[in-house]
Amino acid sequence: MTERARIALWRVGILVALLGAWEWLTGIKAISRTPGLYWIDPFFISRPSTIARRFVYLTSGEVRLSLWQMALSTVQSTLWGFVVGVSTGFVAGLVLGRHDRLARVLEPYIIAFNSLPRIALVPLVTMIFGFGLLAKVVLAWTIVFFIVFFNTFQGARAVDADLIHSARFLGAGEPQIMRTVIVPSALAWTFAALTPSISFALIGVVVGELLGGESGGGLGYLITQSLGTLNAADMMVALVSLGAIGIVMALGIKQIERRLLRWRPEYRTERA
Amino acid sequence: MDRASFEVLEGEFVAIVGPSGCGKSTILNMIGGLVRPSAGAVLVDGVPVTGAPTARAGPARIGYVFQKDTVFPWRTVARNIALGLEYRGVPRHEVARCVREAVSLAGLEGFEEAFPATLSGGMRQRVALMRTLVVDPEILLMDEPFGALDTHTKLTLHAELLALWQARRQTVVFVTHDLSEAITLADRIVVMTRRPGRVKMVHEVKLERPRDVIALRERDEYAREYGRVWHVLGEEFAG
Repeated sequence: MTERARIALWRVGILVALLGAWEWLTGIKAISRTPGLYWIDPFFISRPSTIARRFVYLTSGEVRLSLWQMALSTVQSTLWGFVVGVSTGFVAGLVLGRHDRLARVLEPYIIAFNSLPRIALVPLVTMIFGFGLLAKVVLAWTIVFFIVFFNTFQGARAVDADLIHSARFLGAGEPQIMRTVIVPSALAWTFAALTPSISFALIGVVVGELLGGESGGGLGYLITQSLGTLNAADMMVALVSLGAIGIVMALGIKQIERRLLRWRPEYRTERA
Repeated sequence: MDRASFEVLEGEFVAIVGPSGCGKSTILNMIGGLVRPSAGAVLVDGVPVTGAPTARAGPARIGYVFQKDTVFPWRTVARNIALGLEYRGVPRHEVARCVREAVSLAGLEGFEEAFPATLSGGMRQRVALMRTLVVDPEILLMDEPFGALDTHTKLTLHAELLALWQARRQTVVFVTHDLSEAITLADRIVVMTRRPGRVKMVHEVKLERPRDVIALRERDEYAREYGRVWHVLGEEFAG
């Protein structure tokens, strides 16, 4: 068996064991034949079989707002927050990274805003942008922007001076130095921020959804709704979906990163 | 550095040798305009150097090969060599032609699409050299460009550099701490003193060209040249 297959087997094994234990333990009665008294009460953590049933129900056409629609809303807001956050953070990092004085002037403001717990902004963002897509995107942006900004800022400052001199001797003007030396050099740092960024974008969006009510939609709404009806199974459906979305998006980012940073030895798969 | 003064003639290959810290690299940086002398001046064609080069069309005035590896790691070999031409807005097919030529001159065929991380140090320095030569500079500044390479690779690159220079006769200022390298390559050798660096001697290398970098080292003339400069340079190394 190859190492890969062995690892895959272990992963599946752990999953099956966990689900099995969960299903089994939540079925054991504390006192025999007394209904509703369990060693581990499925009321709080539900059971895999119930969750699977709810999943089928929630994705069917019988519900007003299907799981697909909610997941789509969450994914959409996350991607928007990610794209807007990354692009603005990158530009800001590049500009401040190359303008020492401006960076020094703005430093305390940046640190102060970044130290603010983003969740404390939710009511304000809600007051300004309401409960919809825009509010969720803004919340994701407030987190992603800073992650990308700080990394790009470091990257833009760490550009090797000899590379800039080389470009200058080869005849580059300032815009060309920016395009061919500083941007690619800083990008390597920016990319390091992308995987955490997509996760934090998702956090920002879900926080917005938790407080946003139905008009905000999304999986966060499914969670609050389930809390209202004390439905652990639906809550689990939402959590599993969020986990799946998180994994898929992180893998997607890794692929893009691998493609764009293929010049780096650690990403080399074949002799380029 | 202190009262370091010498002249370099057009088309001449001059090497600067001296103990480390004597300001060899600083001299190159002054010629290149990266460092301003605190007193005195550097004149190129009688005009004082006032700063680093600015973008301009046509052939480059000064080309600089750094000691450190300055090949852009995010560009392939071909696109590294193309840099100077791209900066000048040379049309794409023309760039491709020049790059092909440079690649074959440097023996880098088959590596055009390779990223620098996959190349050996010698190949990377070849790329750096061709990238500089492709814009046809009148003056070539080289700061210990082969310092980090093993002896064999170094000799190969000496032969290649001499062949390229023989064809084009740029004015070269070559900084090194390796006296045999200086004698192999240069017309004249500027020997610097320890800190504060001064010009101790300017020695003319009387070895005919073209030189065979391998056979040269067995010859008596080579040994004589080496002995003469070493006699002077050695004093600087001795306490």
